[in-house]
Amino acid sequence: MGLIGAVTAVLVAIVAVVVYLASRGDGLDAAGGANALAEGGGLVVNPDAGNVPEVIVYEDFQCPFCGQLEQTSGPQIVEAAQEGDIKLTYIFMSFLDGASGNQSSSRAANAAVCSADAGVLPDFVLEVFEDQPQEGVGYEDEAFLEAAESAGVEGEQLEQFTTCVQEQEYQGYVQDMAERSSQDGVTSTPTITVDGEALGQQQMQQLLSDPSAFDSVLAESQ
Amino acid sequence: MKPTSLREAAAPTPPGTGPRARRLITDGVGVVARLALGAVLLVAGYLKLVDLDGSVRSVVAYDLFDYEIAKFIGLTLPVVEVAVGALLVLGLFTRAAGLVGASLMVVFIAGVASAWARGLSIDCGCFGTGGPVAPGATRYLEEIVRDVGLAVAGGWLVLRPRTPLSLDALLTRHPHHERTD
Repeated sequence: MGLIGAVTAVLVAIVAVVVYLASRGDGLDAAGGANALAEGGGLVVNPDAGNVPEVIVYEDFQCPFCGQLEQTSGPQIVEAAQEGDIKLTYIFMSFLDGASGNQSSSRAANAAVCSADAGVLPDFVLEVFEDQPQEGVGYEDEAFLEAAESAGVEGEQLEQFTTCVQEQEYQGYVQDMAERSSQDGVTSTPTITVDGEALGQQQMQQLLSDPSAFDSVLAESQ
Repeated sequence: MKPTSLREAAAPTPPGTGPRARRLITDGVGVVARLALGAVLLVAGYLKLVDLDGSVRSVVAYDLFDYEIAKFIGLTLPVVEVAVGALLVLGLFTRAAGLVGASLMVVFIAGVASAWARGLSIDCGCFGTGGPVAPGATRYLEEIVRDVGLAVAGGWLVLRPRTPLSLDALLTRHPHHERTD
């Protein structure tokens, strides 16, 4: 009995270590295309921003509150980046993949990386969230193509974008963004950090309900 | 002597107090403790195994460990839970499994209590759905009470590991159980 017990304990330990080794990933080294930071660090909207606050938006394309945030405050956040008031980075998470049958979160995140290659990331993000389906329904590739076209992608670039979406070219980078979020201690979406500090519940609530709140929230959190 | 015990002594076999009845009760408690702790661990471990990323995020949400350590815990804990849960349900190595199960519960209670004390708003992630929740939606007390109950179940099994309907009983053929027939 004692021997069987010891063997059982060792077996359990071995299985645990195997699961750990098999699932821990192989480092954050996937390439992410235009304006993608190394190590799953996300997609920068305005890489040449000067010495301004660094804002990182963590979102999952299927999360309903992310949709609400983008529809309410998205335009103002993008505007702040385009005017050079902030350096804006998106990190797209995909933990809601299981909510739909077709891995919608990571496919949408992949499409967002493709849209950065086409030079239309912020518009693409706003467009996709504009027509966000109900949680669990998921996105079809068609939705990404329409969003890219609305954002002004055409001709050869649209063909490249389409291939990039269909082939899921940035699947590795999408996984790296997910892992990077956990490393950053971000476990839910939407999360916004300003110079590394996450905005509080109350500030997020303002951004979710008031389309003009971003400037004051930003000023508060510096 | 108290009057109650006098009355008990006077009656030859009052219902519910004879050695046979008492053993029936302790046997019953043992089986319930084993199956309750075992089933909860089995289910909790399984739900984490099917979403290992979620399991890691649940540990990260406690904000207690470096990421690499949180990842190690999130990936290995479900295997241990499933193994200990299965042993308890089968009734194999009940004492050791009960000890590990009870120890896990004590650690979980400490984790939830620390999240509560630090004012975090998270789900315990006990069943794979961890992470932040709305500030009013935490269920720390409920989670702690449940884990205390399960820790007590594990403790019972350490003290009285011999339960009916178990592989332990089958393998060792303890005279205690042969006499019950």
